Amino acid sequence: MTELRLEGVSKRYGTDGDGTTALSSVDLTVRDGEFFTLVGPSGCGKTTTLRAIAGFEEPTEGSVSFDGTEMTGVPPERRDVGVVFQSYALFPHMSVAENVGYGLQFREPPGGTNEEERVAELLELVDLSGMGERSPDQLSGGQRQRVALARALAPAPDLLLLDEPMSALDARLRESLRRQLKRIQSELEITTVYVTHDQEEALAVSDRLAVMSDGRLEQVGPPQEIYGEPATRFVAEFVGDNNVFDATVRERTGHTTQVDHGGRTFELRDVPADASRVSFCVRPDALSQAADRNRITVDVETSEFLGETVRVHGRWNDHAVVLRLEEMPGEAVTVGFEPGDEHLVETS
Amino acid sequence: MSPPERSSALDSVRHWLERWYRVLECLRRRLERRALWLTALATAAVLVVMLYLPVGVVFVEAVLEEGSPTLGHFADVLTDPFYVGFLADVVADPVAVGSHLASLLGWLGAVSVSLSLEYPIPGVGVPVPWLAVETPGVRMGLFGFTAYQAALSTVASVALGLPAAYVLANYEFAGRRTLRSLTILPFVLPGIMVAVGFYAMFGHAGTLNSVLGVIGLGPFAFIEANPLAIVILAHAFYNAPLVARITVAAWESVDRRAVETARSLGASERRAFRDVVVPQLAPAVLTGALLTFIFTFMTFPIVLALGGLQLATVEVWIYDRVQRLDYAEAATLAILETILSLGLTYAYLRYESAQAGFARTGSTSETEPLFPDVRTALSPERLAIVAYGLVAVIVFVGPMASLVLGSVTDGTGFTLRNYAFLLERQLEGTTFQTRPLPAIRNSLLFGLATLFVAVPMGVVISVLTVRAGRSGTVVDTLAMLPLAVSGIVFGIGLLQGLVFGVPLPGGWRLQVTGAIAIVIAHAVAAYPFVTRNVSPLLSSLDPAMVESARALGASRYRALLDVELPLIASGIVAGAAFAFAISIGEFSSTVILASGSESYTMPVAVERYLGRRSGPAIAMGTLLLAVTAASFVVIDRVGGRYEL
Repeated sequence: MTELRLEGVSKRYGTDGDGTTALSSVDLTVRDGEFFTLVGPSGCGKTTTLRAIAGFEEPTEGSVSFDGTEMTGVPPERRDVGVVFQSYALFPHMSVAENVGYGLQFREPPGGTNEEERVAELLELVDLSGMGERSPDQLSGGQRQRVALARALAPAPDLLLLDEPMSALDARLRESLRRQLKRIQSELEITTVYVTHDQEEALAVSDRLAVMSDGRLEQVGPPQEIYGEPATRFVAEFVGDNNVFDATVRERTGHTTQVDHGGRTFELRDVPADASRVSFCVRPDALSQAADRNRITVDVETSEFLGETVRVHGRWNDHAVVLRLEEMPGEAVTVGFEPGDEHLVETS
Repeated sequence: MSPPERSSALDSVRHWLERWYRVLECLRRRLERRALWLTALATAAVLVVMLYLPVGVVFVEAVLEEGSPTLGHFADVLTDPFYVGFLADVVADPVAVGSHLASLLGWLGAVSVSLSLEYPIPGVGVPVPWLAVETPGVRMGLFGFTAYQAALSTVASVALGLPAAYVLANYEFAGRRTLRSLTILPFVLPGIMVAVGFYAMFGHAGTLNSVLGVIGLGPFAFIEANPLAIVILAHAFYNAPLVARITVAAWESVDRRAVETARSLGASERRAFRDVVVPQLAPAVLTGALLTFIFTFMTFPIVLALGGLQLATVEVWIYDRVQRLDYAEAATLAILETILSLGLTYAYLRYESAQAGFARTGSTSETEPLFPDVRTALSPERLAIVAYGLVAVIVFVGPMASLVLGSVTDGTGFTLRNYAFLLERQLEGTTFQTRPLPAIRNSLLFGLATLFVAVPMGVVISVLTVRAGRSGTVVDTLAMLPLAVSGIVFGIGLLQGLVFGVPLPGGWRLQVTGAIAIVIAHAVAAYPFVTRNVSPLLSSLDPAMVESARALGASRYRALLDVELPLIASGIVAGAAFAFAISIGEFSSTVILASGSESYTMPVAVERYLGRRSGPAIAMGTLLLAVTAASFVVIDRVGGRYEL
């Protein structure tokens, strides 16, 4: 269907002197039929990127193209995109069916169906058959969100854009809607850009994702890669729980390198030969009580019981540490990791 | 034709029709895409020609003397003690600081303060300590007097409005909501009608004298004895509800939990009120006071009808100059007045926007029943409320009731003479006389025409300003100019500019006269009220709704029609009600533009009748009241809600 390409997209607000930069030179390709997620903390530029794709904002520089067709200057109503907002933005003075059918006034329903059939089809797709006559304020939050999705999909857009569509819902509902969204997306094979600040959600639904910070792309890749091999310190700390340490290289023996952090020596693997300082991260699940190398004793500050595991926040050598244990710890707990379980990130 | 021939002929016709349909559809789409900007351009054109041009004409008139620019007119006014009082000396010789200080000190030295025991109630020997401050007379001049009466009116309005706000915000009683929404009503009542109402109440043969006559007192010449007091009371009639309205809104938005927090932290009820509630009310009261001052500074029909030239304010004097065809002086005064009122309005807008962050939602304060049982009803507080209620009834209901009553009585008893006079005038009056039916017809026609111009203008300005950020405030300020330019100034501008004609290059003249000029004047006066009613609703709409519509394929204009307009309908209806009521009651510019025997409206007719006999004027005023009330009942049925 549609491949989306952003080339050198920048967005500045205000005049040059006192303006703020929302996006600086973003290059991105979203493949045909892909579920692509933009994730980052608030103010990182992910929503601005989405709005530039939809045509609600014109980039200051750079270009947005759909399947090679330049979109600069094309108003949103002629871009053929479906947008779902966090606030649902349902038209409160129209029924559910009127909401879903609104876009069919401007674009022919696909596959030779008429408007009425298309609305019924979409309501069925989102499990809201028979709700067409209701008014949006008679619906629950999750139902409203599904109406918004059906409305966006009704004219069979080339692209589906979702701006934090689940943030207003509670956690359990969010999970079930997420599965439903994923099912619909893969059924329709529609190219989808999903914006969220929730990194867990981003890892769970995406084919690929882009982590953003300060108007820049930090890393683009599939979830496993982003989680397992964070490219930057920001990604390492933002995606999932992580422990990042800065250290100085001491001595190399074969694959193993001895580094020093605050007077304590760690053994790491595959440190680049020319590095004198390194930053490495160790996921909480890699820090285990059973490991006999790189052991540290952590003073426990808080323990959160999560069911199968316990998340422990503690302090070692004046450094915040997060652990994942199987049982509630005492006042202190000693853990370690095997060389090679760490991952090197850019030194700050 | 054979059947196949016929069908091919039909086919070609259908093809032809389809082609045309496509062309038209394409045209319609193009037009639709630009519709918002076209309407905006039309609005801008109307504003430039009908608002800025007239004001500009007045300005040019004030700085031109026989074709060459001069500041002489301003110098003449600013150094004339008649206009600016004691400030004339200061303006004439601003460098002589020493002598000005000396005269100020001399004046301060002559102020005497005395404390004495007085017996204010005749026949009762209760002494009351009486503080008297004697100040030597100050020559205030026309501007000084205008400000003085505005200040007194502001004090009276706040004094009368605050208790109403207190009762409306804190007590529950039957009709509270109705009363609360009625507080907007006086503001749009025709000034000349209110003046006649006060006349019917306080005049020689008025209701108050009739009531007093029953107990053997009077008649008193209230209006003749103290016209200023009656004028101020009439101003309070207008503005006290405004003060009350703004204050109630602030009072209701005070978060009850903030008061409860203060109480739990150890503040007494009184202390919590002082520390939590009062600081949140003060901005609202100040806003109301500032608005009242601006409105009463520009007062016209009330003073003209109740005080005449004896109490002339700047506005009345300008009108008088226009009547005497002294346009240069009128224009100079008009410009000075506009500068002052613009400055005040700017202060108001600045203050209002600084307080904008104050609006909050939260659990609103609780109201308690006004009269739960007999024992509470007799508590001092409730008795004070009852006493205030009586005063309020006299001030607010009295004049309107007197108007109706006065139209069917003549000091001795029931009579239909006043209406008979109107009927007779209608049937037998000559064309140059002011007849009632044309006045009613003109008022209604102008009102409807005003709706059609003012509502689209107001809505478009709202749409453009609400989402435009910083540049939006500029547009907003420019568009709100009519609130700060008095009807008289505007009337002169229209008269001198469009009615007399503006020469255009190429020998053309831009000339607008009579009914059209009046409708324009009304529309310009009315559209800010549409904007004020629509903007809050518009800015509370989720912008994502318009964006959703656009992503689904709707043009900006279609999104406006399909999404925004239906959701702001109640504001538009309320704005339309205002526009209609403003047009029906507009007096200042209409009286200048209504030429002799045609295009006069009901308020103008009232004023013309009042010049000769009060009876027919009161009857005409009652008709005006009926028409205004009817228009509001209609609007209320349609479901308007009022904002200001």
